[in-house]
Amino acid sequence: MSRDFYKSSILPYAGIIIKICRAYTDTEEDFEDYYQEVCLQIWKSKDRFQDQSEWSTWVYRLTLNVCLTLMRKSKKQKSYESNELSPGDQKEENAQAISDESLNQLYAAIRELSEIDRAVILLYLEEKSYQEIAQIMGTNPNNIGVRIKRIKERLKKKLDGKVN
Amino acid sequence: MEKSIEQIWKEGFLKQEALIAPKVNELYNRKSIHLVEKFQRMFKINIWGIIIGASLILIASLGAGAGLAGLIIFITLLAVAYSAKLDSDGLKQLDKGQSSFEYLSSFREWIQQSIEKYGSLYRIVYPVFILTFYFGLWFSDLLEPIREKVAENSSNLIFGMHVPTTLLIIGGAIAMGYFAKRIHREDVELMYGKVLGKLNEALAEMEELRTTK
Repeated sequence: MSRDFYKSSILPYAGIIIKICRAYTDTEEDFEDYYQEVCLQIWKSKDRFQDQSEWSTWVYRLTLNVCLTLMRKSKKQKSYESNELSPGDQKEENAQAISDESLNQLYAAIRELSEIDRAVILLYLEEKSYQEIAQIMGTNPNNIGVRIKRIKERLKKKLDGKVN
Repeated sequence: MEKSIEQIWKEGFLKQEALIAPKVNELYNRKSIHLVEKFQRMFKINIWGIIIGASLILIASLGAGAGLAGLIIFITLLAVAYSAKLDSDGLKQLDKGQSSFEYLSSFREWIQQSIEKYGSLYRIVYPVFILTFYFGLWFSDLLEPIREKVAENSSNLIFGMHVPTTLLIIGGAIAMGYFAKRIHREDVELMYGKVLGKLNEALAEMEELRTTK
């Protein structure tokens, strides 16, 4: 991968890639793997990008797909290695990655959502329009608003009154 | 004061450390180690498969009254399993400190050497297995009634064995010995094809990454 490609086509979107990868990983080590895999897949798939959508939309979609694929693989792997690291250890490791306690709690609550709900709320928090979210998720924009409302309710419950 | 989800999200990421991107220069480190570890697990299962299979053959042969043949097959397979165990230990010695490309290249080299070695080993193991199985079974207590029937009905016998059948089996054993390397390659492809495909794919990608400026 060339440095130029990384700087011009990936780095401007590193923020959202990082945010998405964090929502799908439990440990700092996994987070780094996911981030690197996303970068690699963007580089490998760049020739398949067509101008039917924005580059940023394509990057979001690819990031989500890579994270979902890796998470499913990792679930299988973890069930094999379940005795090696307890879930408690993993959460503690992850909590050390971000110093902001409220953000950590929010991430923990987001990680408890379903894979698709996680993607929807992340895009919503990134201030994407319902239209864009629907385009990235390949769904109908009419459903997005209702879904976001439901997800926010669930997050509030999980955060147990720490948010309004 | 309570904050909204949106506020927590925005304010949390104002702090720079939450958005520091990991370095992308070690893309394949863990991927490579996972690949080799997956192969090691499969290899270990394979070794245990050989040991269990050999034990079952020994038990069955004792039951059929062909204990000697069973013992020969058991010892042969156990030798194969022991040799595989030693090779597996050698695989653990691969230096994880080298670059991912070098690490996976060493791993591929190890696999190729291993395929070559076992291909040669099976040139002997396959015929021994087939002939021992045939002779052992033929002279077992289990086949005594058939042996007697063949002796009564056929004049084409050597040491009590039907000559055409025996020649066919010997021919088959020789053919198996001759094609042992090819058969073993197919066997490896069948068992480890997916992992080997990933290995080749990863090495090709790494090669491309190394050459792209």
